[in-house]
Amino acid sequence: MIRIEHLKKEYPNITPLKDVNTEIRDGDVISVIGPSGTGKSTLLRCINQLEKPTSGRIWMDDIELTAPDCDIVKVRRKMGMVFQSFNLFGHKTVIENIMMAPVDLLGRSKQEAYDEGMRLLRTVGLAQKAFNYPDELSGGQKQRIAIARTLAMDPDIILLDEPTSALDPTMVGEVQAVIRDLAGTGKTMMIVTHEMSFARAICNRIFYMDEGGIYEDGTPEQIFDDPRREKTRRFVRRLKVLELNIQNRDYDFLEMAELISQYCRRNQITSKLENRVQLTFEELVEQLLLRKLGATRIQVIMEYSEKEHDISMVVRFNGPKPDGYPDKDELSIMLLKSTMEALEYSREENQELANQLTFRIKNEKA
Amino acid sequence: MSDKNIGVMTGSSFDAVARDMLPEAKERYYNSMADMITAIKAGKIDAFLADEPVIRYLMADNEELTFIPETFVDYDFAYAFPKNEEGQKLCDEISEYTRRISSDGTLNRILDTWFGRDEENWGASDYEHLPASNGTLTMAVDATTTPFIMLYNGKLTGIEVDIAAGFCEEYGYGLEIKNMSFDAVLPAIQTGKADFVGAGLAITPERAESVLFSEPHYTGGIVLAVLKADAVTETEDEDEEAKGLWDSIRISFEKTFIREQRWRMFLRGLLTTLTITLISIILGSLLGFGVYMLCRNGNRVANGITGVCTWLVQGMPTVVLLMIFYYIIFGKLAIGGVWVAVICFTLIFAAAVFALLKMGVGAVDKGQYEAACALGYSETHTFFRVILPQALPHVMPSYKGEITGLLKATSVVGYIAVQDLTKMGDLVRSRTYEAFFPLIAVGIIYFMLEGLLGFMVNRLSRVLDPKRRKNEDILKGVNADD
Repeated sequence: MIRIEHLKKEYPNITPLKDVNTEIRDGDVISVIGPSGTGKSTLLRCINQLEKPTSGRIWMDDIELTAPDCDIVKVRRKMGMVFQSFNLFGHKTVIENIMMAPVDLLGRSKQEAYDEGMRLLRTVGLAQKAFNYPDELSGGQKQRIAIARTLAMDPDIILLDEPTSALDPTMVGEVQAVIRDLAGTGKTMMIVTHEMSFARAICNRIFYMDEGGIYEDGTPEQIFDDPRREKTRRFVRRLKVLELNIQNRDYDFLEMAELISQYCRRNQITSKLENRVQLTFEELVEQLLLRKLGATRIQVIMEYSEKEHDISMVVRFNGPKPDGYPDKDELSIMLLKSTMEALEYSREENQELANQLTFRIKNEKA
Repeated sequence: MSDKNIGVMTGSSFDAVARDMLPEAKERYYNSMADMITAIKAGKIDAFLADEPVIRYLMADNEELTFIPETFVDYDFAYAFPKNEEGQKLCDEISEYTRRISSDGTLNRILDTWFGRDEENWGASDYEHLPASNGTLTMAVDATTTPFIMLYNGKLTGIEVDIAAGFCEEYGYGLEIKNMSFDAVLPAIQTGKADFVGAGLAITPERAESVLFSEPHYTGGIVLAVLKADAVTETEDEDEEAKGLWDSIRISFEKTFIREQRWRMFLRGLLTTLTITLISIILGSLLGFGVYMLCRNGNRVANGITGVCTWLVQGMPTVVLLMIFYYIIFGKLAIGGVWVAVICFTLIFAAAVFALLKMGVGAVDKGQYEAACALGYSETHTFFRVILPQALPHVMPSYKGEITGLLKATSVVGYIAVQDLTKMGDLVRSRTYEAFFPLIAVGIIYFMLEGLLGFMVNRLSRVLDPKRRKNEDILKGVNADD
C-alpha cells in the first residue's frame, strides 16, 4: 500500500532520517517505537508530506507522493492523521469539526455528513458533546473527537502521531480503547507510541527506529521477546547503558568513579546499589584485572534495566586467559563474591579484548 | 515691556517685529486670533501683536479690547501670486483693478461695509455664480483672517472676497475659494493648488522673495492690542455671576451653534470627518487584506515593497505625510483635499490592518493549519476556512483601537484645506472668540463618533465570533431528529 525507498530528511543541524526503506501492506497495524529524536514522528509526517523529504521516494498504491506533479492535497484525503495535540478547530463545534471536511472536500450533503458524524460520535461515546466547543472538553475527549474527525473522511490509512502522549494518565485508557476498536476493523494504521504494552496488544508489526532508519522491523513477539539487535533489546527492556573504556594503567580512577555516580543518579539507582557498583568496579578493575592479571585495556559496559531494577555488567579485557579462579583468600575476591552473581567467563581468541566476564550486581530482591 | 508675555500668531510676520521692537518681551505663539483674545482675557498674555484692521474690526465685538495707536511697522495688504508667467499676468490685472477702484471710491465703500459692521451687505458678492468665460480662478484663503476673509452664515466672505469677486466679474473669471490654514496658503500657490492668495497678507521683503504681490488694497500696520485700562475683570465676573452659569452656557451655545446657523458648519465638518474616516476604514481594510494575501506566502518582492511602504507610512507624522501627498505627490493634479486625505489615511490604515492580520494569524496555533492540511484542505482553503475565522476574533479589539486612532488622526486634515470637524470648530472659534465652548463641543462630537464607530465594530465582532452562533444556524438544512 505504501512503499518507501531511501527516504532522507535533513534539517539544518540534525538528520533524523538517513535512509528509510519499507513497505506497509494493506491491513497492517504498525507501531513505531524508539528513543526520542530518532525520527518516528518525522517518518509519519513525511508519509503525508507535512514535512517535505530531502530525498527518497514514497508511493501510495500507484501514486508517487514525492513526485513534483503529485496532487498531495487530494492524496491526503485518503490519509488520516491524528496529532499529539489533537488540533481540533477551535472555532467549530464538535459536530462541525467532523462534518466540515466531508462537506467541503468530498462534496457530501450536510445531512449525510451529519448522520455519519453522529454515528462516529456514538462509536467514540461522545454523541452528547456534539454541540460543545473543543475548549470545553477534556484531553481524552478531544483526542476521541479528533479520531472521529479523521474517520469521517473514510481514509485508507490512518497515521497516529503519539495520540496519547499529551494526555493525563487517567485519560489514556479511553483513547486507547477507541484505537483498539479501530485496529480491530482492519484499517491500515501506523501509530507512533511510547506505550509498549499497548503496541504489543494491537499491532501485527513493530518498527523500532534508531540510527536514522528502521533499525528492526518485526512482529510484536519478535521485537519484545526476542529482539535480534542490541539496541532494540536495550530499548524494549528499557536498559540504560554506561560504557567505560580504560586505555592504560594510569587512567583517571576518580573520573571513572564520578561517571558511574552520575549515571546512577540519572537513572535513580538506589545508593545501596550504587555502592555495590562502585565497590565492584574498584575491586575488579583496579585490584584484580589491572594489578593481578596485568590487563592494560579494559572495557566496562553497564546496563541498568528500569523494568527489573537490576544492573548487569560486561567486562572485556586483554591479556592471556587467566589461570582458573584466582586465590580464594584474597580480600578482593571475598568482596566481589558478595556483590556479583551469575558470573560467566568466555574467550574470543581473535579479538584484542579477548576475555569477557558477564555478571549481575546483587540486588536486595535477589 | 520686559517680562511681559506677548501673543504672536504662528507663521505670521509678527514674530520678527516682536523680536525687533520688543526684544525683552516673551513671545507666546497662537494659531488664531481667537486663541489670542481668549488668552488675553484669561490673563495668559498681556498684549498681542495684530494687524491694525483686524483689531479695528474686533473692537466692535470685544469692548474691553483696544490697541496702542502707535504702529510698529506699516504694512500694505495685498493679494499674493506665484512667481511665474500666469501669476505675473494675473497680478498685473488685479493691480490695475485695485488702482481703479481705490480712485473711484468703490474700495472705500467695501471697507466701510466691513469696519462699519454693515452686516446686511456682508456676503453680498455672489462669487459662486460668475460667468467663467476666461476660466476659473482659485483663491486660497484663511477664513480666520477676519475681516479680510471670514465665514458669515456659513459662507466665505470678507474684504478680499468682495474685491476679488468684483475683479473676477469684470475680467470674466469664475472664482473658487479654498479655505485652508494660514501656514498652507503660500505653499498652495507655489504648488499650483491655487492661483492666488487672499489671507490678509502683508507685503514683507521675505515673502516678496518667493511670491508676487499685487497693488495693495489696504494700508495698516502692526499694533499692540491690549485690554482697556478700565476693563476691570471683576465687573465682568459679577455680570457673569448674575447671569448664572446656566445662562452663560446658553449664550455660548447660541453663539456657537444657532447664530448664523453655525450648526450647519459643524454638521458639514462632521460629514467630512465621517466620510474620510469611513472610506479610509473600508478601503484601508481591503487594501491591508489584499496586501496581506500577497505577502502571506513569503513572496520576497511583495514583502520587500510592503515593508518599505509600511515603514514610510508609519514612520512619518500624519501631518507630514498628508502635506507630502497634497503638495508634492498630487501637487500638480486637480484632486480635492478630501480625496488626498482619503488616500493618505487609507494607506495608514492599510498598514495597521496588515500588521494586525500578521499578528492575528501568528496567534493561531500551527497545529490548526497542519490538521486542515492533513484532512486534505488546500493551502488557500485552509486559510479561509480555518485560520482566518480564528485570527479575526483575536484582532478585533485592536482593530477597534485603530479605528478610534484613525478618527482622531483625521483632525489634522485642516492642513490640506479640508474643512473637517476640528477645522470647523476653529472657524467658529475665530468668529465667537470663545475657546471653551466650541472646543468642548468638538470634543463631545468626537466622543459620539467614537461611540458610533465602536458600536459598529462591536456588532462586527459579534458576527465574527463563531461561539455566538446558535445551534439552529450551525445545523441549517440538517434534519437532526434521528
